[in-house]
Order: sequence, then structure tokens, then C-alpha cells
Amino acid sequence: MNSASPGIERIFSWSSIDSKSRVVILVSILLICSIPHSSGQETITGWNEAESWTDYDLNAAVIHGEIIWVFGDSGIVRLSEDSGATWQNHTNLGDANLISADSYENSMAVISSEGIIYMKDDFESEWITIDSSQTGMKSVALTGATSLVIVGNEGAIWQYTDQTWWNRTTSFTENLHDVDFNGDEDGLVVGDSGTILATDDGGTTWDYRESPDPDCSIVSISYFNPYRMFAVSDSGQILYSTSPGGFEWQLREIESAGYNTTLATNLSSIDVVSSSRILFTGPDGYLGLSLDQGLNVEINILPTGVNTSFNDHAMFDYVSGIVVGDSGVILFTDRAGENEDIGFQIPDYNNFGEFVEYADDMLLSGFIATVKIVLFGILLGFTIGVILAMLKTAPTSFKNILERYSTNQIRALGAVCLIIGLWLLYTGVNRFPELQLEGLEYIFTPVGDPQGFAMFALGLGIVAISIQFILADKKLSGPIFKVRPLNSLATVYTDFFRNTPLIVQFMFIHFGLRLGMRIQQLMEGTFGDPGIDGIDYFFYGDRTFLSAIFTLGLNSGAYQCETIRGAISAIPSGQMEAGRSIGLTYLGTMRLVIMPQAIRICIPPIGNEMVNLVLNSSLAMVIGYSELSRQGKLMIATTFQIFSAWGLVMISYFVVTWTLALLLRRLEEKTKIPGLGISGGA
Amino acid sequence: MVDVVLSIRDLHKIYSGGVHAVKGVSFDVHEGESVAVIGSSGSGKSTVLRCINRLIEPTEGVIELRGEQINTPLADVNQVRSRIGMVFQSFELFSHLKVLDNITLGLRHVRGMSKSKAEEVALDVLERVDMLERIEAYPGNLSGGQKQRVAIARALAMKPEVILFDEPTSALDPELIGSVLKTIRGLADEGMTMLIVTHEINFARDVADRIVYLDHGQVAEEGPSSIINEPKTERLQKFLSSMHEDKISEDIENELVNTQADHGYVPDGTGNRPRS
Repeated sequence: MNSASPGIERIFSWSSIDSKSRVVILVSILLICSIPHSSGQETITGWNEAESWTDYDLNAAVIHGEIIWVFGDSGIVRLSEDSGATWQNHTNLGDANLISADSYENSMAVISSEGIIYMKDDFESEWITIDSSQTGMKSVALTGATSLVIVGNEGAIWQYTDQTWWNRTTSFTENLHDVDFNGDEDGLVVGDSGTILATDDGGTTWDYRESPDPDCSIVSISYFNPYRMFAVSDSGQILYSTSPGGFEWQLREIESAGYNTTLATNLSSIDVVSSSRILFTGPDGYLGLSLDQGLNVEINILPTGVNTSFNDHAMFDYVSGIVVGDSGVILFTDRAGENEDIGFQIPDYNNFGEFVEYADDMLLSGFIATVKIVLFGILLGFTIGVILAMLKTAPTSFKNILERYSTNQIRALGAVCLIIGLWLLYTGVNRFPELQLEGLEYIFTPVGDPQGFAMFALGLGIVAISIQFILADKKLSGPIFKVRPLNSLATVYTDFFRNTPLIVQFMFIHFGLRLGMRIQQLMEGTFGDPGIDGIDYFFYGDRTFLSAIFTLGLNSGAYQCETIRGAISAIPSGQMEAGRSIGLTYLGTMRLVIMPQAIRICIPPIGNEMVNLVLNSSLAMVIGYSELSRQGKLMIATTFQIFSAWGLVMISYFVVTWTLALLLRRLEEKTKIPGLGISGGA
Repeated sequence: MVDVVLSIRDLHKIYSGGVHAVKGVSFDVHEGESVAVIGSSGSGKSTVLRCINRLIEPTEGVIELRGEQINTPLADVNQVRSRIGMVFQSFELFSHLKVLDNITLGLRHVRGMSKSKAEEVALDVLERVDMLERIEAYPGNLSGGQKQRVAIARALAMKPEVILFDEPTSALDPELIGSVLKTIRGLADEGMTMLIVTHEINFARDVADRIVYLDHGQVAEEGPSSIINEPKTERLQKFLSSMHEDKISEDIENELVNTQADHGYVPDGTGNRPRS
């Protein structure tokens, strides 16, 4: 045995590992790295590309009866009668760029950049041309069979009704980008500087609405129903309103973007397809789909080679529709553009390989989750254990505390305490009748009225102690003066945690005390939103994680305390005397002399406790923490492979505990003191 | 008149079991003086010693260190202890620390010295007890005599005003005793104030300036070291004769002669030795 100092760098440093072990470690790492990992899930696009027979940019799409119309630059018009799969030419409408279109019942209208409106008031009717004499118009919305509203630059709003144009421009002169109507009366207009204007009389009068972000340029708006509207800004924000008339608007905190309020991409249009499904388009091939009203937005995979800017879309229903974009691109879908999972369509879980392929991702996440709570649980448990053990062995008795005071002072203290104690006792007891308990049911008062019970218990204790203070003699010989209060506190703690089942502690702490939630809120108050990944999320993003480490730590601490206390008692009392006799304080001697020796002694039993903690961590599944056992259960729920699933879980646990045991064995060897203790061999 | 370093007045100790171990012990220790406390097992020697640095709280009585009472709840016990060195029967070295760290622990954490300063002091005292070559060893790898010498160095390093020896050689094999006694004798020669509880009658006679003989918790006889040769009381006579019957003590006598020879003088039979 060499006699170098057992510092931490000696225990885990690479240089301290002998060459044989180094080879084993390197080979293990190599093996783990070289295991081929299946890529798992694959997805393909839900969009198909259609031939549009044009290279002009397509700006607007609208559904008119059974036909989808698409309008583009230089008056180009295409139509499809089969949900967007094949497209036919149609006579150009003028030669200006067609920029926006809308349909309403049997009517359809499209506006050109010259301000000319082409309208059909029935499926079979011819195109009617209406000249608004306005340029710089951006969007059109029908409010009736032959009435419409157009909006454009510098706040221009024009209403066409009864064959006449009316200027409805308001005092807000920001550029307007989009107009949408729900029915023929309720309408919304959006534009630069967060402008939102609303009407409830078909576009005659417009009212200003407070914008959640006065700096954003709102480019598109879409009604789902009178109570739910969505809009997007060109900087990727999603705005929504759930008040009729669109009085209040909020920015969506997008979960999939880390609770940010922007998708961090430019957007050009939005379409609310169903009660929860929203489609977003943007430049550079951005097609986003949300299945939960914009909380999570998934980027659609596009067909190979498509990377154009998308301008508009039109959906028949919530599954089939088209998007159009620059350079004549038209994509159609019959599954709402949703990415399609492939690879597991017909998995055969009876095939072990396919089962493992399905299970390994879940197992890995469970493994990481388990290791996470185990590491923190061990740290917390050991800390609590050491503190409790020190409290339990602390020699501080009431006599030690009080002997420097005169008997009269102690009696006076007793008298004061007696009054306080009696008041607490009286107040506490007086609260109990409110619980309406009978007889033995009173043992449940700690649950029914924790505060009242605390007052009662504290009062009872203080009264009992203070009476003996009052009766104190000069030598403080009463039994109370031998009581060591720190020891008593620690004993209450360990007795509680060692005499209740861990599974109940888990549920009580998580669901009852809601400890995880409280800590999370506290942390959020201090450090801000945890987000969905990163260090913040790691520490307090998951409240079951917080509850789990605290339950495991508190419970394990109670057991480790007894182990460490045993080790402390195994240190000869002369060591304490020697430490004290050179002038160290009690705590100083504990820290510098007793604990370093005691911890070494109790490494094997503490190792036991730690392994126990790993195994006990499986109970965290009852509070919904996704550790290994819970993942095992989930695997069975999908695959019904009970033997294989639990087998995999068992092997994973073995890996954790066995690694831990090996580390502890190594720690024990490395911290061994020459000439101390009997440890096998001569 | 030499200063009184330690003064014990009417000390009583009744253990919680009701054993009245010390019944009114009083004596003084003067500056530069070594006092040996002798007596049979159970006579209360160790209790008196432990009361002095308050490892045991006396039931009654006054203990003064340089005129100030130290056995009151108001006295700073840690400060008092750092002024009184203690050497234990079973060494009580900190087994997880190397020899050097055993010495520096108190210097760094009680005296607040820097590591390098503490090591300087430690090397100095280790040289005095002749343990310089084992500073990197753990106590577990030392012989008993070496351990006790390190323990003495640990007490010395704190520069105590008085050192208490609690039967420093009782746990040692006879052949190891010599080196420890030699060290203690060296300290006596340097004028260190010492209170030594011992069974080594000859050693007490040779090293101590004064002998306090305790019997059944009381001072039965007190006087210069010559009282061992000429005991006045019957009880001391009895005690001494029982000790002389012990064969081992003769071996120690031989050992002592050897170490004394090492030390540069030969006992003349009177028990007196030249003081430096």
C-alpha cells in the first residue's frame, strides 16, 4: 500500500488506473460506440408536387365550389377539378399581377395589383370586372354575393357595395396586408406596426384593436369562428384572440420553439384548417403545421427539390388542399401536409430485433432519467444522512445550553415558556372540534389541521419542558436537562421516514405536498422560465423529477443517517478527546477528525444504501416520472412483450447498480488508510 | 517565588453512577516544574488529569490556569484546551492523517496558521522528538513508541503552558518505553511545565521535581521526588513495595539506565540529577 494522500484526484484520475483496467475501459467504450444504432423513426413528406404549367409566381389560391383556383403574376389563372392533382389553363385575367382572392358562398373575387377586381357571382357565371381605381391594394374579402372590401397601403380600406365604392379609410395609415371576414358582418384587417382593425357592420366602420406587439408587421389573418381568430406576423409570431369581435389579442408562447413567441422564421400566410389545425406558409420553403392551435408547430417536409417561397394555401377540408408559391409551384395533400411516419407501419414485436429497435429509445430515456434522480438522490441523501448523524451524536444537552445562566434566569425562562406553551396548547386544542372527529379518529388531526396539530404538539412539548425549567435546581439535575434537543429532532425525522412506506411518501410528497410544483414555481420566480431544454429545464423543467429526488433523498437520508451514526460510534472516543484537547471545537473535530474516519468505515454499508436507492427509484413511476420501470410499462402497453420488456429493464437496472457498486469498491480501496481496520488479507 | 501555572483546589468528581472518584484533591504546579502523579489503579489519577482540561467536568472544586478559573461555564473551553497540551495513554493520533498533518491540524485550524508556517513549526517539534524521518507515514505504520512521540510533538506544537501526560507509557511494550521516557526527560530538561500521571515509579523519581501520591481519590502524600526513596506514610510505603515486587519495573530500570546514559549522565542513586 502506498502512502500517498487519498485526494479525490487520486481516486478517479486516469493516471491512477492500472494498465489492465485502462484496456478494459477503452475496449468497453469502443464496443459501446461501435454498436450500430438504428436511426429509429423516419418520416416522409405529406405533400405532392403538381404540374402547374407555368413558371410565374402564384400568389393566391381559393376554393370555389368543387374547383380550386390559383392566381399568379401577369394575370395567370389555373384551375383544378380534382383537389389539386392536375391543373388546367384558364384565360388570363388582364396582364397585371393577381395578388389576392376570396370566395363567399357562390361568389369569388380576385384583385390585381392595378386595383382591378375580377368577380364571379355564381359558379357558372362569367367574370365581371370592377375597377376600384386604386393601386397598392393587397387583399380582398367578399362580404356578400356582390359586396367586398379591399385593403392596401397607407391604411386604405375601400368598401364596394350596391355597385358603389366607399372610402372607409381610417385615421390609421399603416400599410395593411390582409383582410378576412367571418360571415358578412364581422371582419378584421391587419397591417404594419401591429395594426389590427375590426368591423361588425360589413366593413362600413372600423375600430382599432390593441396589438400585443406594436412593432410587428401582421401579414395574414384567419378566422376559425367568431370566437377564435389567428394571425401571423412576418417575423414568425402567432397572434390569437378568443374574444368575439377580436377585442383582445395575445402572442402565442410556442412550446415547440422553447416557449418563445416567435417561430424564428418569416411567415407569409396562415390558414386555420380545423378547430386545432393551423397551416403556416413562409418564404424559403417554410410550411408549418400545428395540430394544437399553434402551441407546437412542426415543419412539414417538402418533396425533393422544392424550396420556393409559399404565398397562399386553400383547403377543402382539414385534410386535403393545396399551397402555392413562387415559380409556379403547387403542392397538394390529402393528409393536411402532415409528415408521414414510416418504418414502423407493421412492426412485428414478436421479432426481438424489431422489439428492441422500438424499445431502445424509450429505454435510453428511462435510463438517463433514472441515473438523473439517482445521482441527485444520492447527493441529497448523503448530505441529509451526514447532517442527521451529526445531530444525533451531538452532545449538546439542555444542561450544556443553560448551565451558563443562573437558576433564577432559567426559572424565569421557564415561566415565559410556560405561558407561550399553554397559549399554543390552548389554541391548538380549540381548533380540533372544527374537524368533527370522534374518539380514535383524533390520530388523524395532523392531516386534518396541520397547523393546529403543530401548535398542539409544540405547546405540549414546551409546557412539559418549561415546568422542569421552573423546578430547576442549582445543578440542573432534572431529567429534562439530560435531553439532547438536536438528537430528538433528528430522531423524529428518521422515525417518520423509516416507518412509512416509500411509495406512499412518493405520492404524499408529489401529489399531497406538491413539493415539485412548489420548487418549480420558486425556481421560475428566481431564475425565469425553464424552457424545454438546456440547463434550466434539466434542473426544474420537470416537477416529477424534483419530487422524485427529494423523496428519494429524504428517505435515503433517514437510513444513511443510522449507518453513518454507527460508523461514528465505531471511532474510539479518544479521537474526539484528542481533537478537543488541541483546542478544536466539537464541530471542527467532527469535520476534521471523526467524519473522515467514519465515512471510510461506512463506505460498504452506505454503498448498500445507495444501491437500495437506485432500486427504490423505480417507485418514482407512481408519480409519473418517466424512469426505467415506467418506460418498461409503456413498452408493454404498446408491444405486449412482457418478458422482453421487463428483461430489458432489469438489465438496465443492473448496469446502473453494478457500476455504482464497482465505483464504491474502488473508492473504498483508494481511501483505505494503512494500518486502520481489518479488511481481509494480512 | 516561581509562578503557579496550574492550581487545583478541593477537586471532587462524582461519576453519574455514584462513584466518588476524586475526594478533595488540591495541589499546585509551578512554572518549569514537572509533577508526577502516582497511585494505584482507581485512585483517581486520570480523573484529576481529565478534569484539568475539562474532558471531564468536575463536580466541585476550582481549577485555575495562571490564576484564572477555567472550570466555569463562562470560560472558553477551546481556548483553555489549546493552552494545555495532553498526551494520551493510547496515543490517539488521527489515523487518517500522516504524521506531519497530525501535527499541523491544530496549528492550522486552531492557531490559524498558513500551511507552510504550520509545517515549519511541525518539522521543528518533530525534530525535537526525533521523528523527522517518518513525517510521511500514517500512524498505523508506526511503532507504539513512535506514535507516542508524535503525540507528544502534537501537544508541543501548540506551545502549551503545561502538558498533561496520561500514563504515556502504559500501552507500550517495555522495549519501546525508553524512547518515550527519553523524550519526556528531554522536555523536563528544557524546563517544560508538566503534569505526568504514571506507573513508572523510577521514572517519576528521576524526572519529576515533585511527587503527588493519590490514594482512593485523596492526596495521601506529596513532596519532592525523594519521598519515593523515603516514604513518610504507610500507604505510600505499601504502594511502593508492591511496585518493586513487579519484575517488569526492573527491566524498565535497566532501560532507563541506558537512556539516561544516552542522555549524558549516570544516575547516582539519589534520584537527583543535574538541572540545566
